Amino acid sequence: MTTAPNRSGPRRRWPSPRTTAWGFLAPLVVYLVAFYLYPLLRNLDLSLRDHTVRSFVRNDAPFVWLDNYVRVVTSAAFAPALWNTLVFTALSLVFQYGIGLALAVFFHQHFRLSVPLRALFLVPWLLPLIVSASTWSWMLNSESGVVNSVLTAFGADPVNWLTSPQYSLLAVLVANIWIGIPFNLVLLYSGLRNIPPRLHEAAALDGAGGWQRFWRITMPLLRPVSAITLLLGLVYTLKVFDIIWIMTQGGPGNSSTTLATWSYELGFGSLLPRFGPGAAVGNLLILIALFFGVIHIRVQRRQEAA
Amino acid sequence: MSTRRQWWKTALGVVLTALMLFPIYWMINVSLTPGERMRQTPPDWFPTSPTFEGYAAVLRDQLPALGTSLLVGVCTAALTVAVAAPAGFALAKLSPLGGGPLHFVLVIAQMIPGIIMAMGFYSLYLSVGGLDTWWGLVIADSTLAVPFGALVFTAFMSAVPDEIIQAARIDGAGLWRTFRSVVLPASRNAVVTVSLFAFLWAWSDFVFANTLNGSGDVRPITLGIYRYIGNNDQDWNSIMATAVVASVPAAVLLVVAQRYVAAGVTAGAVKD
Amino acid sequence: MTGARARRVLTATALVLGLAAACSGPGADGRGGERDYRFWDPYTQFGDDSEWAALVADCGRRAGVSLHRTGYDGSDLTTRAILAGQQGSSPDVLVLDNPVVTTLAEGELLLPVDELPVDLGDFEENLLESGELDGTRYGVPIGANTLALYYNADVLADAEVDPAAIHDWADLSAALTEISAKGHRGITFAAIGNEEGTYQFLPWFWGSGADLEELDSPAAVAALRLWKGWLDADLAPNSVINNNQTTSWQEFETGTYGFALNGTWQLANARASGIDFGVIPIPSRHGGPAPGAAGGEMVTVPVQEDPRRYERSRAIVECLVSDDNLLTTDTVLSYVAPVEALTARQRAEDPELSPWISAVREARGRTANDLGTRYPLISENLWTAVGNALSGAETPQDALAFAQEAVTSDFGR
Repeated sequence: MTTAPNRSGPRRRWPSPRTTAWGFLAPLVVYLVAFYLYPLLRNLDLSLRDHTVRSFVRNDAPFVWLDNYVRVVTSAAFAPALWNTLVFTALSLVFQYGIGLALAVFFHQHFRLSVPLRALFLVPWLLPLIVSASTWSWMLNSESGVVNSVLTAFGADPVNWLTSPQYSLLAVLVANIWIGIPFNLVLLYSGLRNIPPRLHEAAALDGAGGWQRFWRITMPLLRPVSAITLLLGLVYTLKVFDIIWIMTQGGPGNSSTTLATWSYELGFGSLLPRFGPGAAVGNLLILIALFFGVIHIRVQRRQEAA
Repeated sequence: MSTRRQWWKTALGVVLTALMLFPIYWMINVSLTPGERMRQTPPDWFPTSPTFEGYAAVLRDQLPALGTSLLVGVCTAALTVAVAAPAGFALAKLSPLGGGPLHFVLVIAQMIPGIIMAMGFYSLYLSVGGLDTWWGLVIADSTLAVPFGALVFTAFMSAVPDEIIQAARIDGAGLWRTFRSVVLPASRNAVVTVSLFAFLWAWSDFVFANTLNGSGDVRPITLGIYRYIGNNDQDWNSIMATAVVASVPAAVLLVVAQRYVAAGVTAGAVKD
Repeated sequence: MTGARARRVLTATALVLGLAAACSGPGADGRGGERDYRFWDPYTQFGDDSEWAALVADCGRRAGVSLHRTGYDGSDLTTRAILAGQQGSSPDVLVLDNPVVTTLAEGELLLPVDELPVDLGDFEENLLESGELDGTRYGVPIGANTLALYYNADVLADAEVDPAAIHDWADLSAALTEISAKGHRGITFAAIGNEEGTYQFLPWFWGSGADLEELDSPAAVAALRLWKGWLDADLAPNSVINNNQTTSWQEFETGTYGFALNGTWQLANARASGIDFGVIPIPSRHGGPAPGAAGGEMVTVPVQEDPRRYERSRAIVECLVSDDNLLTTDTVLSYVAPVEALTARQRAEDPELSPWISAVREARGRTANDLGTRYPLISENLWTAVGNALSGAETPQDALAFAQEAVTSDFGR
């Protein structure tokens, strides 16, 4: 544990041999290998074999290279699932971020009760997802849902939120946006607090209006926080599963199926599990996440450099 | 002038908060609505003739589940800190070989869909006897928080001044002691943040609980909710009542500790 | 102070890891000992203090083992059983929904009943066939159920509809129109995208003369058009698309619906609801009762590494399906007994079960006629087609044509 004292001046971070650091990293590395690598490799293996129930049980399913991937990508369900995933993720991000930012700016003005109200805004974030999703499916139920009851009270026609292919994706989107707003609010709010007030004061003295100050000062200075907020939101939204599964099971038809729910549906959600294709879809999802993960790292690097 | 504007803002804030929390009101409303009125069109806006059967069921059936959730949550937090804090220290201060790739792995690890992890754990636990045990669930739940925790600790510990660490070194402290008695105390906010998140994620986890602890006596509260969603029977009073009860600790903890939440998430995300 | 806190955290962690190590010895999951037997069923609604749990435990005691019962959610019990089979840790006794028995049998996960052996002589033939693969039987029916139409007598009286006069689809649709004209809701059912949806659709599908081998036959399209027509005319609520049988039942319990398509197991709930209800058979397209699908679970014995365990498993199964216990089970589940002599006793004890007993006798096995392991794929595509047609994504004709195509090309949509 002990190391030679530092002789190389204050600029060096830590003088010990860099290998000693691995003593501290060991638990994490063992942990990652045991609990991340194993499931991942297993999933990869699943996706490269052609399983029947029998061959799965006997562990002798033939190795078929990328056959499952080809079958998945060329199946009629792939394009809608990918499209839904992209739409779901993009719109979730835009609205979570937009609403979160508007609220952050609003709460940043420190009016009476702003602190407790902002705290209350966080509650939906950490409700168990099974709870939020169940509640939303109650509210959006065609017959006994409160949303349709409000619509009819205002003379509008009720909407089949969860049971029509036109609206089901919108329904799960609304629920997901609702769940994501607090996260965006928290991050953007703390980002706003880090912007020195004197910048605003100076700009105000120069005659800049509130709107101008927002676009010229707030937004540029908020850019790093925004980038991270959006990227974290992205990786969490890509793997959203519980909400959609509980509310619509990806239906009707496959109108709200995303890659995450499709993967589950193939592996668990029907009478006859199809492990190979299910694992393949899961791995495609990881690839997409990996792609954005690289962007995440890039952005962080650039930020550190700046 | 300004006070009038303030009141206007407060009013708007209250309205917005009410809108945001409406689903939660609705959850409570449903938990109090008697079964035969539950599916009627239009729904009751207020629980005019409330039933407390759901809450009675929760108190009768779910206290052990709340205990399990508490145990699993606390242990998950402890395990997460134990694994993530030393790693954060190494990544932040010891510039280990391969630290960069490891950092990348941590970012990627957060993105793996829970279902894939759950399937892996299921087959792993089948062979080592980890199913339906509280420690099995602790390990599985901690995967939700360990990569995040390591990143947060790295960010926080980078901010600990090198001078403090060097002072400890000059006093003859070994690396481990320096970590334990200097760096860790200086990063107590990170410890709180990471523990808090690990606890809350474990508390609200459903996917792992359902896959790994679907049976037996070690059922967390999210499964307690699920228990009322039987095959041929759904007791929505109890489902929603359990939901209300399960939300209380999470909500209280969050509101009380929101200062740390904000600080922690930002630190994990934005290194400065 | 903070140092102390950190130390507490670390101590706690050490404690966790230590305890974890301590717990991880054999026996933690109840499969260590020779006398420790595991029992899985899909009855999550029954807790440890239920009559069913007591019955299971008692059968375990009589077989001389300590029997650990686990109730799993029906929808993922199959996957769980397959994974467990792969890891060589199948439960000793497994209660399964009948249409998946052949699937597991095909995976060589289940022991043929003949090899236990358990005598199946008294069981109804139409119930046994669900558990049959290539002439070998793999499951013992534990009880049966099927669907019929519950009606709300008050609603029907108000609309001057006589339930006894409903013999074919046209009669039923006319009745629904009458009910709707009086401001009530017509009928509710469950068309959710899982096995329940197929199960509810089959009586109409078969009652139209369609065959599961040909999902897009004109008869099949007619059945789907019947449902779609009800939704279009607002005789059935749109929520049926996402309804499972419980949600649909809750809609009926509000008292605003004339009819509900639901199962034997709701009888107890119907009595408790305070609704003046009755039951009629599901009419077929051109008159007469339509054959429903035989619902209900089967007891199976998964293959074990150690064949010596079968002797006690057999004792457990025999105990569960012995006359008195079977009657208890079926009363608890609100099912019809799978043995004729017992149905006579049920009928004597509860005359209201009569229509159900007749309906179960007419019911068909879903995996019968050599469909076997192809049934899951067919069913999945059928429920998808039903969902797509009802939600308006596709016409009934197209939806069923796609379904048939998907079945023949093996990979779902």
